[in-house]
Amino acid sequence: METITLTINGQEVMSPLGKTILEVVHEQKLDKIPTLCHDPRLEPYGSCFLCVVEVKGLKKLVPACSTLATEGMIVETDNPRIRSSRKTALELLLSNHYADCIGPCIDNCPASVDAQGYIALISMGRYQEALKLVKENNPLPLSIGRVCVRDCEAACRRQIVDEPVAINHLKRFIADKDSVHMWTPAVPEPNGKTVAVVGGGPAGLTCAYYLTLRGYKVTLFEKLPRLGGMMRYGIPEYRLPKAVMDEEIAWITGLGVEVRTRMELGRDISITGLKGKYDAVFLAVGAHRASTMRLQYEDDTPGVLKGIDFLRRVQIEGPPKFSGTVAVVGGGNTAIDAARTALRCGADKVAIIYRRSIREMPAHEEEVEAARKEGVEFHFLTNPKAIVREAGRLKAVKCLKMSLQEVEGGGRPRPVPIAGSDFDLACTTLIGAIGQQVDTAFNESGESCELERWGTIRADEHTLETSIPNVFAGGDVVSGPWTAIGAIAQGKRAALAIDRKLRTGSAAGADFHFASFKHHFHDVTRTELADVTVDEKRQHLPELPPKERIKDFREVEGGYDPKQAGTETRRCLECGCVEYYDCMLRRYADEFGVDTTPFRGEAREYKVDHSHPLVVNDPNKCISCGRCVRLCTDELGIAALGFVHRGFRSVVRPALEKSLLETPCVTCGNCIDTCPTGALSEAFPHKVLGTLAKEDKPSICQFCSLGCPVNMKVLSSDLFHVANTTAEVQAGPNKGLLCARGRFGHRCLTEARAVTAPHLRQGKHLEAAEWSAALEEIHAGITAVVDKHGAGAVGVFVSPSWSNEAQYLAQKLARRAIGTSRVGSFAYLQAPRALDGLNPQMGATLSTANLSDLESADVIGVLPGSMGEESLVVEYLIRRARKGGARVVVLGETGDRMAALADLWLTPKKGTAAALFYALVNQWLEAGKVNARQPAVDNWDELRQHASGFSPQKAAQATGVADDSLQQWLETFADPGKAVVWLVPPDHDDGHDAALPAMVDSMLAGGGFDRAGSGWILLDRHANSAGARELGVVPKNGADLKTAVTNGELKALVVLGEDPVGAGLLKGAASKLEFLAAMDRDWTPTLERADVVLPAVSLAEEAGSMTRCDGVIQTFQPVVPVEAERWNWRVIARLGAIFRDGFGHESATAVQAEIRGAHPLLDEKRNEDFRGASLLAGGPIKGEQFHFACVTPAAAGSEKAPEVIAAERWFKENIRTK
Amino acid sequence: MKQIKVGLATCGISAGGEAVYQALSSRLEAVKADAELLETGCVGMCYNEVLVEVVDGDTHHLYSHVTPERVERIVEEDVLGGKAVEEWLVSGPGVDREAAFFDKQKRIVLQNCGAIDPGSIADYLDREGYQAIRKAIDDHTPEEIIELIQASGLRGRGGGGFSTGLKWKFARMAKNEKKYIICNADEGDPGAFMDRSVLEGDPHAVIEGMMVAAYAIGADEGYIYVRAEYPKAIQRLRQAIAQCQERGFLGKGIFGSKNDLTLHIKEGAGAFVCGEETALIASIEGKRGVPRMRPPFPANRGLWDKPTNINNVETYANVPWIVRNGAEAFASMGTERSKGTKVFALAGKIAKSGLVEVPMGITINEIVFDIGGGIRDGKAFKAVQMGGPSGGCIPASMGDLNIDYDEITKTGAIMGSGGMVVLDETTCMVDVAKYFLTFTQNESCGKCTFCRIGTKRMLEVLERITEGKGREGDIELLEDLADKIKSSSLCGLGQTAPNPVLTTLKYFREEYEAHIRDKRCPAHVCKALIQYRINTETCVGCTLCARKCPVNAISGEVKKPHTIDPDACIKCGLCHEVCRFDAVVIE
Repeated sequence: METITLTINGQEVMSPLGKTILEVVHEQKLDKIPTLCHDPRLEPYGSCFLCVVEVKGLKKLVPACSTLATEGMIVETDNPRIRSSRKTALELLLSNHYADCIGPCIDNCPASVDAQGYIALISMGRYQEALKLVKENNPLPLSIGRVCVRDCEAACRRQIVDEPVAINHLKRFIADKDSVHMWTPAVPEPNGKTVAVVGGGPAGLTCAYYLTLRGYKVTLFEKLPRLGGMMRYGIPEYRLPKAVMDEEIAWITGLGVEVRTRMELGRDISITGLKGKYDAVFLAVGAHRASTMRLQYEDDTPGVLKGIDFLRRVQIEGPPKFSGTVAVVGGGNTAIDAARTALRCGADKVAIIYRRSIREMPAHEEEVEAARKEGVEFHFLTNPKAIVREAGRLKAVKCLKMSLQEVEGGGRPRPVPIAGSDFDLACTTLIGAIGQQVDTAFNESGESCELERWGTIRADEHTLETSIPNVFAGGDVVSGPWTAIGAIAQGKRAALAIDRKLRTGSAAGADFHFASFKHHFHDVTRTELADVTVDEKRQHLPELPPKERIKDFREVEGGYDPKQAGTETRRCLECGCVEYYDCMLRRYADEFGVDTTPFRGEAREYKVDHSHPLVVNDPNKCISCGRCVRLCTDELGIAALGFVHRGFRSVVRPALEKSLLETPCVTCGNCIDTCPTGALSEAFPHKVLGTLAKEDKPSICQFCSLGCPVNMKVLSSDLFHVANTTAEVQAGPNKGLLCARGRFGHRCLTEARAVTAPHLRQGKHLEAAEWSAALEEIHAGITAVVDKHGAGAVGVFVSPSWSNEAQYLAQKLARRAIGTSRVGSFAYLQAPRALDGLNPQMGATLSTANLSDLESADVIGVLPGSMGEESLVVEYLIRRARKGGARVVVLGETGDRMAALADLWLTPKKGTAAALFYALVNQWLEAGKVNARQPAVDNWDELRQHASGFSPQKAAQATGVADDSLQQWLETFADPGKAVVWLVPPDHDDGHDAALPAMVDSMLAGGGFDRAGSGWILLDRHANSAGARELGVVPKNGADLKTAVTNGELKALVVLGEDPVGAGLLKGAASKLEFLAAMDRDWTPTLERADVVLPAVSLAEEAGSMTRCDGVIQTFQPVVPVEAERWNWRVIARLGAIFRDGFGHESATAVQAEIRGAHPLLDEKRNEDFRGASLLAGGPIKGEQFHFACVTPAAAGSEKAPEVIAAERWFKENIRTK
Repeated sequence: MKQIKVGLATCGISAGGEAVYQALSSRLEAVKADAELLETGCVGMCYNEVLVEVVDGDTHHLYSHVTPERVERIVEEDVLGGKAVEEWLVSGPGVDREAAFFDKQKRIVLQNCGAIDPGSIADYLDREGYQAIRKAIDDHTPEEIIELIQASGLRGRGGGGFSTGLKWKFARMAKNEKKYIICNADEGDPGAFMDRSVLEGDPHAVIEGMMVAAYAIGADEGYIYVRAEYPKAIQRLRQAIAQCQERGFLGKGIFGSKNDLTLHIKEGAGAFVCGEETALIASIEGKRGVPRMRPPFPANRGLWDKPTNINNVETYANVPWIVRNGAEAFASMGTERSKGTKVFALAGKIAKSGLVEVPMGITINEIVFDIGGGIRDGKAFKAVQMGGPSGGCIPASMGDLNIDYDEITKTGAIMGSGGMVVLDETTCMVDVAKYFLTFTQNESCGKCTFCRIGTKRMLEVLERITEGKGREGDIELLEDLADKIKSSSLCGLGQTAPNPVLTTLKYFREEYEAHIRDKRCPAHVCKALIQYRINTETCVGCTLCARKCPVNAISGEVKKPHTIDPDACIKCGLCHEVCRFDAVVIE
């Protein structure tokens, strides 16, 4: 291949000619050029223009994805002009992206708690996972779940329909659930660094928590006797029981935080002192000093109190005894708290005086309502003017009525006194609750922080670092009196900044996160939410009746029960995008600091198409990159998707804007993987979890013998799904493409009912049992049958989708431990030749070509039969090979798309395809083109004789194939030296059972079987059919095994991973078993019928190896690990050991070593280079000669294979039917 | 026998040509005149349609603005009487009222248009038709033909201006047993109708040009991609191809050579972007008409991935003339780097709108004033818009500019396919930019981000400027977007879409600023920025405006000055139009 030299970013690089700039740059890892429309599996396109680069000599920027690299080219891939263009491209795309990245709830929460995420988890009953998610940003959900101001609910879209989702009540629900045995995070080894946190309120506690989780040793200083800050000393007991709060505080300090109370900054400790002793300091001393009403006698009249001081005193000293009227001045939460507390202290009457109207009141609406219900009076538009004393004692407060004046620029209206409206409000106690300030006394000794005008500490907006290096500050002391959740937000921000500072020397960190929101385009209206029903109303908390409440300080509100919580979660509209973490558009928006404001204008708006049961199409998120269209049409030949409209309105939709269901869509879901945004996504059976990070874990598809790599997106141990988006899986022979089984079939692992423990039959019922008891019971049951009927009455059956280790040990269990040779698989009971059909000719039944040979093949042939679901991937492999120049020959009446791919499509009469192959042999014999190496075949004469009966005329006659087609057939294969790969469909012997041996005869005669690049591939419905064959899960005589099953000769069965009962294979005589042991992952009729039940694990839960259709052995690791003792092969090994000493194996390596030792075929390095041909080249397996089958073409039907594997049946019943 | 020719190109038809033809036909039959009634194409004087020519041997009487009512007199006096109807005559013995229109023209492409019957291959053959292809085959190798075309200096008339000879050479050099030629007749610029007129008036010239090209590059199959909105052109082409097939000019072994050629007509559905060659090819292949990245160029990988040569109608129409008359004759016309002639479609505020063919190097002023008769209604010349939506506006102050590819490109406009829209003082340049951008925005295929969304955002900025909602920074935003759209789009449509905005910004920036800062439209066009007022001194109180006002916004007593209620006024401008005393003023 011609090589070119070009310069990229000043570096001279060499590359083969014919690659694009993007390919060169990415392959040689010279830069990460961003791109949205490019998928390496597709032809270059060039539409998003994110990948633009500069080529010297060209004025324009060029798209790297579709510009060929040429000799001498000088390319720059990153500079200000390029970045600016890329940024604008993203801004333009996002200016036409009417969609939400995250829910407004998350966006509006100061601490960015993932409300949508935990609501989704609660809806699935995953309470602890939900709680853990909350605690990623808020370590105090027990408290916050009771007192939060709920900015999330203020932003909740559900209120457009009826009322917001009760997000905070849900948070309280999971926190309460957890409070008995609190979940404890893992604390890492100490990193040797120390931090002093001053102030034990929400900011300080939060900062201490997140620093502890990062290995810092934290000392928490608190001025007051106990921790909690304003939450303890400002919020009354009836709203936040302190015992509840203490649980949470103890949980944090219990992680290893050293607590030192009654330590006041500025008196007991100083900033300078702390700085000297600790690596960093966090100041979170709050804003505890009450503001004054600026009235005469305010400070020296008994009975005149300050709100926050009053609340604090109640907390420390207990409630005082009030009588008469208590007047409270102020409109904030502290005023309401003071008023409601005063009621509980015995006041006869409580009146709140507020200078504006109820509309302007900063206190939470629900608090105001609660106070009203309890009997608090409100004097709105009223302001205290003077304290009226009598004999030095408080008598009344003189008030003025106010009117409101609009303020220019639209702030809160200003209250203006109405002249002459004075009146006296008689009272025995007057509480001024008009606000708090920072008490800056701490700053007066030693080093002091710079302050803002209002007395708050000046701190960097992003890092919260103060004017003193390594001293950080947050909470009310920085923000002024704010909310608890605001303090928590700052506490976490400070912890992260301190961590960065102490690790890297700089507190600064990139924290830009782009998020698109529908309300940035326009208000979301009820019309858009027309589909949302109002059947389920907001669930309210149970609360004490008002008359009861005011008697004491008991908590007023109770919590949800699980049913209420479930109902409430269903009200969530799931605004945030399912692809939040995987969306390339959003990721690049972060990277380039996108701002769409200058480009806001018209945006396309579409209804989201939810009609397809498995694929959601949200055209609002489509960026018209056409990846899905090109994949669906050009690569897969389906064309379910296409572009509609032109220009600004152009968008990807099914043709004529129909629903996906009305298209030829085959539900392969490959469009989902290639979509760089959330325009195409998976329809999950549960709530959207897109805002939760998931981990990519590679595995192998368990559904057919192609062994396609799959990538699992794992959220938790039992929640994952297939998304083939990683470069790793896309490097596989299938290029990451899957059929519907591969993509959606694995849902059975998270949805189907799994067996969790061994069970033993007790009469009519199965009872859970210990592992050892169950295994012993199997031993006893089998031994009894052996004693009575002999070992031959025992059969061992194993699923052809289980691992090699399990296959090997299962046959060993039968042959060595039990002593029976009746070992096999129910999957092949009707068609045993799938397992040993080539033995008479080759000495072994195996594939001789490799999947990768397809790409370089001159001719690809397909034997008669149907490919089934996985046809899609096979077609893709063939289509790719065709692009590379392969000629495709398809035999049989294959009515599906396979025929459409054929360059030559022959439809011999059923059962006669063999004649075509002997016609080839005849042609070669006549031309003297038979296998030059004359391999050891023992019956050449017989072949000569046999083939001579298949002249072209006779072959045409026998097959009914037209003369010219037959001529083309002969011409295609005239030269036996061509690289020819035959694909053998899984059901090839269904009426065509002579075709395979005839094809093999032709390959033996022509020599194609022992040449690299040529051969055949036996495809199979089951994932490890090749492993089963090669490792001996094959009875000596298949027909014998079938008879033994059907006539009831087998009295005891060990069935591993198969369901013969459900498949109707154990009827009549066969059902009269004396003992049945069955092992499977899910409950099946076989398990329900068994005497002993063992739980199996899925391929996603264990490690092992599988042999692909072409003989390549692929290993896999657990995606969601379970204890290794539960792995299927280990269970078989344990069972075997009970039968026979020394049976067991400690490790997979040991089993594999034994497998290699036991089987000559496997005693060879097996990897991608493996070709059966290289093994067979030396001669047949058993030291015998190869043998031509010389079959006679004839139709002979065989029975359809029954569905014996639970996962397969699950797919058909749960996915295919959709 | 006398011949009577009626101009029945689309311009003639839309002026009522078919009714005139019918009237002539029945009249001639009624009087049993010894005369033959014929159709012809467009001679260029679209402003004079319907044109009827009475030919008697060497004597030509050309009548303009003929209506069915005038037919009787023409037949009576001229056809039967042999005497021209002087007052309707455009040209005839001793009369040449349109000399100025033709004097500065040089007709190569249009030589037969309006002169021959386009439905008659005999007419074409009479005028040296199919001599060029015979000459090419008999006397020259394909390489020599390519050399000849290269030497002539012919450049692509579709707008790109790429050397035609070089293009042919690349297609010739591409190794493949199958090659195609394509004629791009997807004329889509608003106001442009050169290709249509040529196809309607002289289809054989285009076919002959394609034959020469096919011979030169070695193609045996070709497509004419013509928009379905040109039914007359399609009819003429079908007729012409059928005639060629009948005579063996198309098919196997044409003109006795070993060369085969089959031509197909592909009707385009009117997507502007399909004029872009890769999109056009995709459209012929039955795919969505979307451009793709070049290279590979069609010369190497074109239709069905085979080497393909694609030129536009006017380019092919030049070829027979060049082959017949030699490269030098062609190269002797024009400027140093732009040879031959160029056909322009004159439109807009010009007195004589129509089709003209001028030698390269002529000035804008010569076209506008000498040929086009200046601006209508005595208004002041403001600018010409050249090159359609991909082009730009050249101000009147640059009227002495010599028209050739490179000079035009320097102004920020482009030669384009030949649309020339003349603008006068009553044209708002922001509005013009908005008009053309609206067009490209609607016609973008939607593939590239910048073209799809960027032009939309530019348009929104222009819309708000013309609505009086322009903001500081809008001009900079337009310039920034324009720059990025130009440099980051796959095809010519996107790469040139900002040109109308950029050229108007370049030459008329103060008009944008007036809109944005002073909320004023200097040309009094943008409705949101103008007000209608009645000048009480000139108003005589005739009440006409009040009666015409559709929203009753005008009040006043008879014979006393009227007033307009600005809140009720919808700025339709009807009062301004109907006032006979110029009393309604716009400010």
